[in-house]
Amino acid sequence: MTILGSVAAWLTDPANWTGPGGIPIRLAQHIGISVASLAIGAAIALPAGLWIGHTRRGVRLAINLANLGRAVPSLAAIGILVPFTVLIDPEAGFKVYPTLIAMVLLAVPPILVNSYAGISEVDPDLVESARGMGLRERQILSAVEIPIALPVIIGGLRSATVQVVATATLGAIYGLGALGSFIVEGSAQRDDAKLFGGVVLVALLALTSEGLLGLLQRRLTSPGLRFAAR
Amino acid sequence: MRQFRGLALGASLLVLLGACSTGGGSKPTVKIGSDGFYEAKLMAEIYGQALEAKGFTVDRTGIGIGKRAVSAPALEGGQLDLKPEYIGSGLAYYDAGAGASAAPGASAATPATIDRGDPAAVATAFQAVLKTKGGGITLLNYSPAADQNAFVVRKETADQFHLTKMSDLAANSSLKLGVATDCPTNPVCGKALKDAYGIDVVSATLLSPCDTPMVKALLAKTIDVGELCSTQPDIAVNSWVVLQDDKKTQPADNIAPLVRDDLLGKLSAADKTTFEKVLNDVSAKMDTATLTDLGKQVSVDNKDIKVVATAWLKANSLV
Repeated sequence: MTILGSVAAWLTDPANWTGPGGIPIRLAQHIGISVASLAIGAAIALPAGLWIGHTRRGVRLAINLANLGRAVPSLAAIGILVPFTVLIDPEAGFKVYPTLIAMVLLAVPPILVNSYAGISEVDPDLVESARGMGLRERQILSAVEIPIALPVIIGGLRSATVQVVATATLGAIYGLGALGSFIVEGSAQRDDAKLFGGVVLVALLALTSEGLLGLLQRRLTSPGLRFAAR
Repeated sequence: MRQFRGLALGASLLVLLGACSTGGGSKPTVKIGSDGFYEAKLMAEIYGQALEAKGFTVDRTGIGIGKRAVSAPALEGGQLDLKPEYIGSGLAYYDAGAGASAAPGASAATPATIDRGDPAAVATAFQAVLKTKGGGITLLNYSPAADQNAFVVRKETADQFHLTKMSDLAANSSLKLGVATDCPTNPVCGKALKDAYGIDVVSATLLSPCDTPMVKALLAKTIDVGELCSTQPDIAVNSWVVLQDDKKTQPADNIAPLVRDDLLGKLSAADKTTFEKVLNDVSAKMDTATLTDLGKQVSVDNKDIKVVATAWLKANSLV
């Protein structure tokens, strides 16, 4: 019980809400790195997944690459990347880029796999009738396949988001800052309130972004699909 | 007949077993642990092999268990019996803990007047704190070998800004500083740097000290001044310059074995004498230059810790 009290005290202490090491700045850093890596990850994985799902080409390659991406621990990826990214810039190349790239690698697999799976599971009869009605391939993808697959595609984005928000904490080991620094510093400074306060903030951020994407998922699901699911 | 022979064999085995467990060779297993980095693991391995040579049984599970925040509670809780410790940082760890809990009379806070640069004074103060921890912990003789926190710059930085000592940093506030993750709250780090040198660690990059991230950051020029350990081989390998701690802020970090009193209590008088002598001999024979060299063999030449430990013990006739 005492730890809950001290975490609450830490979270409400105004001193922790100001300055370069305060909660607002580190929260903003955390959201920044998460949004950036998810955007880059989606920019890579969405078109690739849609194309693979539509054409059924390169399925095996994509699935294997995605599994490979999942198999590399993010901490190892960050450590391996540092010596290369610092050649670009000694400051950001050490503190930001390694974590950013590692988080992109983490975001790609679920987005890729879900968008491929969502598209490829669209009823072939629907696709055939669309083709029979004279729709071009691009139109079939945008007017038939994507709307039907959208809940699954956003599901991939949701799981990528939760993973990235939780794992971006590792960046603090290489001076990124963000919410992970509360955990890393709390552990080193034997400050349990800070450590668990950091954990609470990361969990809240992960759950909030999960929830928001869930709302989006429901909003974007075509009414016809919602009816069919009932 | 066969059954009888089997019984006889079993009975004699039992007798034999009984003889073993009650005989003079019975000593409790010594659970050795250490912090996670190579030097602490090396010292723990040396303690282990030296004790084994004198007939003690050693459990190495706890070697490399983690940093002080992990290894110190493990020693207090009895998961470990013995671990190598840096006396100055060890004392500072408990001082910081006493400050944080702030319960009156909860912990014997060390008087601010002691000379933290003097290993004998630090050892006496540390022993006083340790007596109150985990049912009593004994600090055996400290070694002349010490591994201080050291602030290090690249050769070209030292040349460019004419840096030889910590005081020189005050005039060069543009230099980017990398300090230990616990520095802002560590009295011998953040507060000492501010008071003695006017260096503010608020905007410093916090990284794991004496460790890969700090070395990589210094190599990559992400930081210009990094907190490393004075015996760390990276310093010599990269021809880096250690800034002299001219205001003597850093504590004497000589290495000493910490051992739980309940383990010492389980030993017979003769075994206890042997146990303490073995570890005190190790401490007496080790020095900073040797420790630096052994550390290089482990972390740069990638030699096996056990092999390095055995070679040193043999060369000093300790096994």
